[in-house]
Amino acid sequence: MTSGPAFSAGATIEVTDVSKWFGQKVAVSDLSCSFGPGLTGLLGPNGAGKTTLLRMVCGLLRPSDGAITVLGVDPREDPSVYRNMALVPEEDAVYGILTAREFVAFAADLTGVPRERVAEAIETVDLTSAADRAISGFSKGMRQRAKVAAALVTDPQVLILDEPLNGTDPVQRAHLITVFRRLAAAGKTVIVSSHVLSEVERMADRVLAVVDGRLAAAGDVAAIRRAMADIPYRVRIDVGDTRRIASALMSEDVVGSVRVVGGRLHVETTDLATLGTLVPRIAKDTDARLTGFEPEDESLESVFRYLVHRK
Amino acid sequence: MKAFLAITRVTLRQLLGGKRLLLFGLLALLPPVVMLLASRDLAEVGEFGLLTPASSPVVDAFHDAPIAIVFLIVLPVVSLILGASTLGDERRDRTLSFLMLRPLRRSVITGAKLFAAWLGTTSIVSVSAALAAAVVGLRIGDWSYVGPVALAAAVSALAYTAVFMVLGYFTSRAVLLGLVYVFIWENGITFAAVSLANVSLFRIGLSAYGGLVPESLSELDEVLGSVAPGAGGAIAKALVIAVLAVFGSASLLRRRDLL
Repeated sequence: MTSGPAFSAGATIEVTDVSKWFGQKVAVSDLSCSFGPGLTGLLGPNGAGKTTLLRMVCGLLRPSDGAITVLGVDPREDPSVYRNMALVPEEDAVYGILTAREFVAFAADLTGVPRERVAEAIETVDLTSAADRAISGFSKGMRQRAKVAAALVTDPQVLILDEPLNGTDPVQRAHLITVFRRLAAAGKTVIVSSHVLSEVERMADRVLAVVDGRLAAAGDVAAIRRAMADIPYRVRIDVGDTRRIASALMSEDVVGSVRVVGGRLHVETTDLATLGTLVPRIAKDTDARLTGFEPEDESLESVFRYLVHRK
Repeated sequence: MKAFLAITRVTLRQLLGGKRLLLFGLLALLPPVVMLLASRDLAEVGEFGLLTPASSPVVDAFHDAPIAIVFLIVLPVVSLILGASTLGDERRDRTLSFLMLRPLRRSVITGAKLFAAWLGTTSIVSVSAALAAAVVGLRIGDWSYVGPVALAAAVSALAYTAVFMVLGYFTSRAVLLGLVYVFIWENGITFAAVSLANVSLFRIGLSAYGGLVPESLSELDEVLGSVAPGAGGAIAKALVIAVLAVFGSASLLRRRDLL
């Protein structure tokens, strides 16, 4: 077994040198990692290749190169693995004509599990009150929960969730995160993909960050945070007397560079928090009026790109 | 078996939901209504006063417009829409992955999908054909055409839905391509060039009908062209097409990426 932060002890899913391309577009490039019991967050901006990777793990896409095994078998060759594996896809893959209860029962029938589990799965995602309504009338969040219930009813050893919190409200989100954490604690392999760092941070013990189809970082959440600690941030500051403020900022250690463009300051810093307290103080000391302090580019995408380029 | 029946049940609800059943029901009423109108003023026996049903103008009328409407319009249109939708809609709605990620042989999935499409088509077309034939029974007391024409419609429905299921999986324009096949190839070219009649799905059912109701052959000969009548051969042909479609599309599901 390969070692390193991208690899998990007691792996149930092994991804070895996997690439996937669609025509000229490379979606996943020479990616190796593994997943084991516990909750792993798959983090990355939209279009990073997370969904492609998860669909390959599930056997819905064939890798252009490399190999994937789930519970020791290639899922494309042996559908029996789906007895112990479930996917909650990102898209609305639900039957609108069915009620939530019928939908979950359909999943149970197809997987060969007793229907007695249906009510419990629906209860787990807190959908009991709407269980006998047609899914076509559901909100996005309710559909997500119906999909999660259809996955849970099979009691899978490996549960893969592609952006499962999309469209859910904060209460539903907190509830689903609790459910996922409980499954992970019970020894299931749970993979949750997301493009929202704070979301993953709340639930995952381990994170794999994917950007442009490549593994950008891996490890526990603290390690990812540390990797991101020295990322330079750019901040736009609207303040009076820009030249005096600029020269005052230049003498500060946390400030990398300062430019004055169109009556605004554009500051680069490695410590956003310190700059956030520094600027109001300098403005007050110089009697300048501070009207704006706005990070220019702190999207997750830019953070990940930084990590990739640094690698 | 439980999974097969579950897929069949849900697929039938998908295929016949909404306004489809109503529209298909109205279409299915066309042959019996035409038969009623066509036979209204006809004598019960032929011009020589023979009492054999085959010589009855009512039977002649049945073998004219109603049969043509069943086999050239109702059957292909219903089977085209249901056949093309059975896998095509799952792919379009992205629910196919829900079925694929199950511990099932792919042929179980495609077999259940075909069975549902065939059952839906047959329940509409065979009833339509049987009702038209029932008018013969009501007029001259001969009910022997009801079973054969219903069976013949079911046999052709199997061949049609099998072919259109595969077409529906391949392309989102399956209905358009299917209409071209039905109305240009089957209703046009194969009538003009009878040697091509073997490449015609509705003739499979008609040949079964010809085998079961031999006295009707004279009317059907022209349409069947080079296709030999016989129920056994027709059923075998339809089954071979169905098996090829089930295993062919199962193989496609295994090999192709599901985006």
